[in-house]
Amino acid sequence: MSAPELSELRRRLAEAEDTLRAIREGEVDALVVRSVEREQVFHLVGGDETYRAFMESMELGAAALDADGRLLYVNAALPGLLGVPAGMLESQGLLETLGVAGAALRDLLAPEQNCRRSAEVTLQLDGRQRHLLVTAAPLPLPYGEGHALTFTDITQRLDAVAREESERIGRAIMASAIEAVAVCDAQGIVSHASPAATQMLGVSPLGRPFSEAFPLAFAPGAGAMDAGDLVAVALRGGAARAMEATLRTAQRTRDILLSVSPLRKAGGAVGGCIVTLMDVSERRALEKRQELLMRELDHRMKNMLALVLSISARTLEGATGLQDFAERFTQRLSALAATQDLLAGKVLSGLSLQQLIAAEVAPYVSALSARISMQGLEVEVSRDAAVALGLVFHELVTNAVKYGALSNESGRVSILGQRLQDGGLEILWEEAGGPPVRPPARRGFGETVIARGLGQFAGGGTTVEYRPEGVTCRMLLTAESLG
Amino acid sequence: MTGNQDEDGAGILRLTLYVAGQTPKSVAAIRNLERICAEHLGSDSYAIEVVDLRVSPHLAREHNIVAIPTLVRQLPVPIQKIIGDLSDTQKVLVSLQVDREG
Repeated sequence: MSAPELSELRRRLAEAEDTLRAIREGEVDALVVRSVEREQVFHLVGGDETYRAFMESMELGAAALDADGRLLYVNAALPGLLGVPAGMLESQGLLETLGVAGAALRDLLAPEQNCRRSAEVTLQLDGRQRHLLVTAAPLPLPYGEGHALTFTDITQRLDAVAREESERIGRAIMASAIEAVAVCDAQGIVSHASPAATQMLGVSPLGRPFSEAFPLAFAPGAGAMDAGDLVAVALRGGAARAMEATLRTAQRTRDILLSVSPLRKAGGAVGGCIVTLMDVSERRALEKRQELLMRELDHRMKNMLALVLSISARTLEGATGLQDFAERFTQRLSALAATQDLLAGKVLSGLSLQQLIAAEVAPYVSALSARISMQGLEVEVSRDAAVALGLVFHELVTNAVKYGALSNESGRVSILGQRLQDGGLEILWEEAGGPPVRPPARRGFGETVIARGLGQFAGGGTTVEYRPEGVTCRMLLTAESLG
Repeated sequence: MTGNQDEDGAGILRLTLYVAGQTPKSVAAIRNLERICAEHLGSDSYAIEVVDLRVSPHLAREHNIVAIPTLVRQLPVPIQKIIGDLSDTQKVLVSLQVDREG
């Protein structure tokens, strides 16, 4: 071999060694490979490495699978998104690691799905749901087709949608609530209020401390000193239900049933409180009225029993025999019952004297009869006065039927009501045309009732005169005994 | 990228840089060569041609290029090859013998 040939060989050897060194030391990133027909450039790492670095730096999870679903590549973000150790995906496989969610992904990888497609999967991570949007696209591989998968965490987006929906429902509930509802922030400032709350106050409570916006007074012994204390209790996580209070506004005072509970943020920390105020004024008024009625009923029952006992005793005194007692006692109780019937039918509207007298006269003679004349009796009387007057008129009528103006065919009775200056009423019962009247030998029950009845029950007085031409009875009703 | 277009000029440094598209080493080699020329060579003392072998792979044959990037000093003869991204300035200057040439 000649010296020049040897020199050329040495040069080429040095060049070959330098090339190998450069490849080994990573100074080159592409090689030219010469085949029979042509040269081809092959990249060593440079291009792929750039894309790989890009994939690794993405927040999206990315994975490449071969046609059989075997994992070829997974980027750094994906294990974190799936909540699994980095090595687990390589050792167990992506779809297998995902379990149920992985089975759903297999549909995305079906051979007939030769285009980009997406699916949502939900994973349980640390007790919370994580929603991932998985997109699969065909991936050309040197030895066939594979799948490129990207995983996007859409939990926050879905949570935001859910929050928005939840807020919308909350607003709708607030708007439709019959009760007044106020929401306070952590400082006790009213941040939301239902229309009913604003209506209750007359002004919007928004932006004001609850205790200032709602001037509440609690019943002694209710436990809470004022509304501010109650809100403070709720902000510490406590709750109170159905507390009685009164709310004083410029317009009126209302009875309120108040409930308060903490409003917990995600994670359980108390971020405010919800106060519900139910206006129970009408219910309270009804309860008070019922209580009053019950007491009144009790009082009347006692009065009635006393009256019956009194009638019984007086009738017994004047009775000539058991038959006579039975007859008179029954008649008197019937008179009492007639008045009660009238009163029962007139619970709401008052009972007039006209109606009362007509009921007592009815068993003996029609109230429309020419023999009975009534004037100035369209006056309402109180219940107690009605009971007493009912008995008085019963005695007057029975007396007139037995001995007086109604005991013959021509006698007449005139009943005249006249208003007095002090607001009271004078009633004059005047008989005429009956048989000559003689004063009774002794005072019977009838006279006793007539003489005392009004004094006891109606606060007025009566005067009876047994004039020969007919009995007259003057009754005075005080203004209070009129309806 | 030519400092001087006069191909017959005596003492002209005639260089060809073989790259493969925009690979990191190719881009680095182009930038390093620009810097070395600007800092160490007179603006009329060299001529540079950049050959993208991805576009024209057959041009590798002329200088028997195997690894990319490679810088070939065509002139002055003998031909010299520097393989790599030319980040070692001293090595490049020695190989080009610019200290002696220029």
